[in-house]
Amino acid sequence: MKWIEELRRLLRRVENEGPTGSMAEDGMEGGVSCQEAAEGLFEWLDGELDPERAAAVGDHLETCARCYPFLVFERSFREALARAAEEGSAPEELQDRIIESLKAEGFEAGG
Amino acid sequence: MTEPPDGDRVFREEVLPEMDAVYRFALHLSKDPDRAQDLTQESFLRAYRNRASYTPGTRARSWLFTICRNLFLRGEDRSQRHDEIVAEVASEDPRRISREATVFLDARDRDPEGAFWDQVVDEKILKEIDALPEEFREPVVLSDLEDLSYQEISQILEVPLGTVKSRLFRGRRILQKRLYDYAISTGLIAAPVADLEAETSEGSA
Repeated sequence: MKWIEELRRLLRRVENEGPTGSMAEDGMEGGVSCQEAAEGLFEWLDGELDPERAAAVGDHLETCARCYPFLVFERSFREALARAAEEGSAPEELQDRIIESLKAEGFEAGG
Repeated sequence: MTEPPDGDRVFREEVLPEMDAVYRFALHLSKDPDRAQDLTQESFLRAYRNRASYTPGTRARSWLFTICRNLFLRGEDRSQRHDEIVAEVASEDPRRISREATVFLDARDRDPEGAFWDQVVDEKILKEIDALPEEFREPVVLSDLEDLSYQEISQILEVPLGTVKSRLFRGRRILQKRLYDYAISTGLIAAPVADLEAETSEGSA
């Protein structure tokens, strides 16, 4: 797998350069760069990435010191939207009206 | 008592439970409770008449949303505004959406975890979603409020997946900015220091 090869390459680099070398600046956690992780964040939160890509992006977002706050911030925003989504149901009179109109079409409500 | 026909059982178990979701969607489309009720009733009537085209076990919600949206659009004058917005959106590359595209950088010094989002009332969030231009409102409603996949949204809106992504991301970005500005104006999050300095210098001038 490509990202594993990339990770091995970076591990070799960090052995040579030390943990404060360029890898720390690049932020290649999970085998993807911070830029790639930021670009994939919305699709990752939406569950739209394929499993391999989702694992790599997710690993990065949850372990990179630079990207993790961005993830937390965006997740808080999305949770607020999801909470608002729970508002609103069809009025009872509408529900009754729909059932009656369906029955007129031959619908059998049954159990 | 006789058993209802099998199609009716599927309709009752898989389609009817989506009544709340269809009503909410109709309300976001029309912004008019009376019209939303009519759209919802008509959607279920159409769905029942065409129940043979529904595959049991698939997502009844996206099927119903397609019916509802088509009914809604039939009564709309989709004029020039639509084409203008589509042209504008089509020029945006969703790959460019990154951390710079959100209010995160503005807010991180004062509320890095976005705790203020919890304080924004649901009513305000729904109001700002309804205030989004139609092309952005639809994907935001379908994804963030009704939890549909990009593929389902693409089918309902009859646009390519890439267009769904760019409209969804753009819509969220506009929404986020408006809610962030609201949070500042109501004190849910402190104003950026630069703004405060500007206010102070204006006040002393």
